[in-house]
Amino acid sequence: MYSLALAHAASVIVVGTAKNVGKTTTFNALRAVAMRRGIAIAVTSIGRDGEASDALDGEPKPRLRLAPGTLVALAAGLVPRTPALAILGSGAESALGTTVFARVVLPTMCEIAGPPTASAMRATIDRLRALGSGPVLVDGAIDRVAALAGGDDAVILATGAASGSTIARVAAVAAETIARLTIPGRDPQHERARVVRIAGALDGRDAEELLADARDATVVVEDPTRIAIRGALFDRLRAAVDLRCERPLRVVACTTSPRHPELVEGREAMLAPRALVEAVARATGLPAFDVVADLAA
Amino acid sequence: MRADVTTAERIGLTWLRAAVAPVGAFGRRHDDAVAPYGPGDETRARAEIAGVVALAERLDRDGVARVRAALRAVPEPAPILGRARAGDPLSDVDFYELGRFVDALAALARAWDAAAGAPERRPPSVEALRAVLAPGREGAGFYLADAFAPGLRGARAAFALEEAEYEARRGEIAARVRAVTGIDAVGDEFVVLRDDYAGPLPDGVFVVRETPTYRAAAVRVVAPDRDAALERLAIEEEGARRALAERVAREADAVAAATRALGALDRALARVAFAQRWGACVPELTEGRVAFAEATFAPLADALGARGHRYTALSLDLRGVAVLTGPNMGGKSAALATAGFLCACVALGVPPPAREASLPLPSAIVWIGGEGHEDRARLLSSYAAEVVRAGDALAVASPQTLVLVDEFARTTGPREGRALLIAVVEAVRARGTLALVATHFDGVAEAAGVPHLRIAGLRAETLDAVRASDLDAALDAINAAMDYRIVDAHARETDSDALALARLLGLDESVVDRARSLNERSTRS
Repeated sequence: MYSLALAHAASVIVVGTAKNVGKTTTFNALRAVAMRRGIAIAVTSIGRDGEASDALDGEPKPRLRLAPGTLVALAAGLVPRTPALAILGSGAESALGTTVFARVVLPTMCEIAGPPTASAMRATIDRLRALGSGPVLVDGAIDRVAALAGGDDAVILATGAASGSTIARVAAVAAETIARLTIPGRDPQHERARVVRIAGALDGRDAEELLADARDATVVVEDPTRIAIRGALFDRLRAAVDLRCERPLRVVACTTSPRHPELVEGREAMLAPRALVEAVARATGLPAFDVVADLAA
Repeated sequence: MRADVTTAERIGLTWLRAAVAPVGAFGRRHDDAVAPYGPGDETRARAEIAGVVALAERLDRDGVARVRAALRAVPEPAPILGRARAGDPLSDVDFYELGRFVDALAALARAWDAAAGAPERRPPSVEALRAVLAPGREGAGFYLADAFAPGLRGARAAFALEEAEYEARRGEIAARVRAVTGIDAVGDEFVVLRDDYAGPLPDGVFVVRETPTYRAAAVRVVAPDRDAALERLAIEEEGARRALAERVAREADAVAAATRALGALDRALARVAFAQRWGACVPELTEGRVAFAEATFAPLADALGARGHRYTALSLDLRGVAVLTGPNMGGKSAALATAGFLCACVALGVPPPAREASLPLPSAIVWIGGEGHEDRARLLSSYAAEVVRAGDALAVASPQTLVLVDEFARTTGPREGRALLIAVVEAVRARGTLALVATHFDGVAEAAGVPHLRIAGLRAETLDAVRASDLDAALDAINAAMDYRIVDAHARETDSDALALARLLGLDESVVDRARSLNERSTRS
């Protein structure tokens, strides 16, 4: 997965179909591969990730163990006091303080929360690229992945039992999410006679109007995250129009997490890992990985 | 110098404050602490203005812009120094920010030198603070370097050794996992499917969760020596930070002095930029006279320039009270506003944009004429607002007050309005107040016994030939035809040129002709 993601990208952002679908686990797996290969990477996160438990629901979350040489962008309030980091610069403000760019000198465990906005995240990734020579890995959020649209970054979609109680449901959610995130870029050579440009989000009302008035048109949104419709309505629209975006995303793989975050009837619930990874690969048409069980499909 | 909201708007004081606003927090703080100059401050005001003019002549405009950009980039060190002084712990990010402050001052000094600034006014540096932080500076960054405390190097070496030992043991366990289960345990946790492997897991692997179909496991290396080394390192690093914070706290006074100097420089450069943009002179500061030559009412010039129109500089010599008459659009209001604007400039230590000037430092400037926002908020009509303002002005009028009256009582009956204006002018004169009174009423100056000035007016021979195609062209034509000079009226009544202007501004020719006929008949009778 590491090689696939970084074959043509200098940065990789991991986003999830829901909370607790193994997003940070996927992110850590990428880091671990880089560490084992002796590659100095740069890491950051959208939102408060890497803490011992999730700030919202208290679920346990993996902590980040950073190797010497790693570049990191994190809020000033989260810079560990020991072992000391080498502070290289500062950037956008966040709720936890200024975003600080630092290099790990001695191995350390820390929380990472990067800048809160898409534009600040773009600037942060670019600064991390400039500060080091290795890839930039981002523990991201699907609603803020717009910052990477149109760039050469790779996106990995984490999905799992938290987004559906059956393998079929998890695969369906993954497929729909991938369908939205992989809306192709504009192709002026092959656009239809009528081109409808949607400013801002494409919502349910826009979709109904397009279905009524603009069948067969090329419909253009700014980036895939602007598509706010789901399910059958999205499917109908995609079938009826030539749906495009100005700045496409490059989604390269999915990961699966078979464990449900909550107990079901008092017991741990888990989908069949191998069947899940195969179903998600089949439904999305992308390579799928279970980085915990070391499975691929 | 006091000026209410309406006056501040009319004389361009609000515009001026924005135009000379400092670019940085230090400058804004400095400005907030400096009261405008008033009566008795002539020496200090003139010294500041002279300093600004000298700087404006010495520095090139691009250089000033670069120095101001460097000023804007200086970060605020005060909160960090406040915490250091209070004995609170500082973080490495705090030390980094202080390093940024030191670097920003150096960049500012370089910009100053590049702009050919005088060495004696060079922005401050904080070399002692730079020296304190120097061992930790890595380029623009900061690291709590070994040099900050004697025990740091040893504690770090010990921790690194224990870490290497920890990683080696972890790697051995991961290799055994790979050998037994075929699973590459890249993360902290891994899952073993019972279908793939159901045998015992290697030593050093702890099962975290177990279900009928899988086991979730983690590599756990118990490393008490590593934990102890980390704890020792934490103690050493905190000790180093505490000692460094104490040294930083000792530089707090020097840094505070530097930020005050930056504030003063920011204020001065804002005024230098203004002077370079609009021109400047060092005025004589004297009571009882508002005199200027080729002065620019910068807010108007700015607005005209934005629309592609030219501004004509004004000259005036006002001693005591005078009445100003002249044509519509001839610049009577601009003359009043310019007088107030230039007085506001010197009150703020800003060189007046004029070839030369002799100005007072009034304690208050009052504009009477029309209604302002605050008058409309009080639901006052134009006339009521003027009368209320006139009453307020007379109540505080003194020889230190500048009163600017713009067509007072124009919205009431002309006979009573004229009488009221004459009475107000007499009252103002009786109080020894400086006042310029613009009006279209005839004979006010003579009746009140004050000098009569007039705008020279339209050069009719120029204007009659003009046929403007649109409003902008008409304004340009009027501007070209208007002689804006303020001259002694020699008791001669002046025309308003209202009819000629109406024609040029597009009013139907037949209406203008009819008005001209009525006017001639009235004049003859």
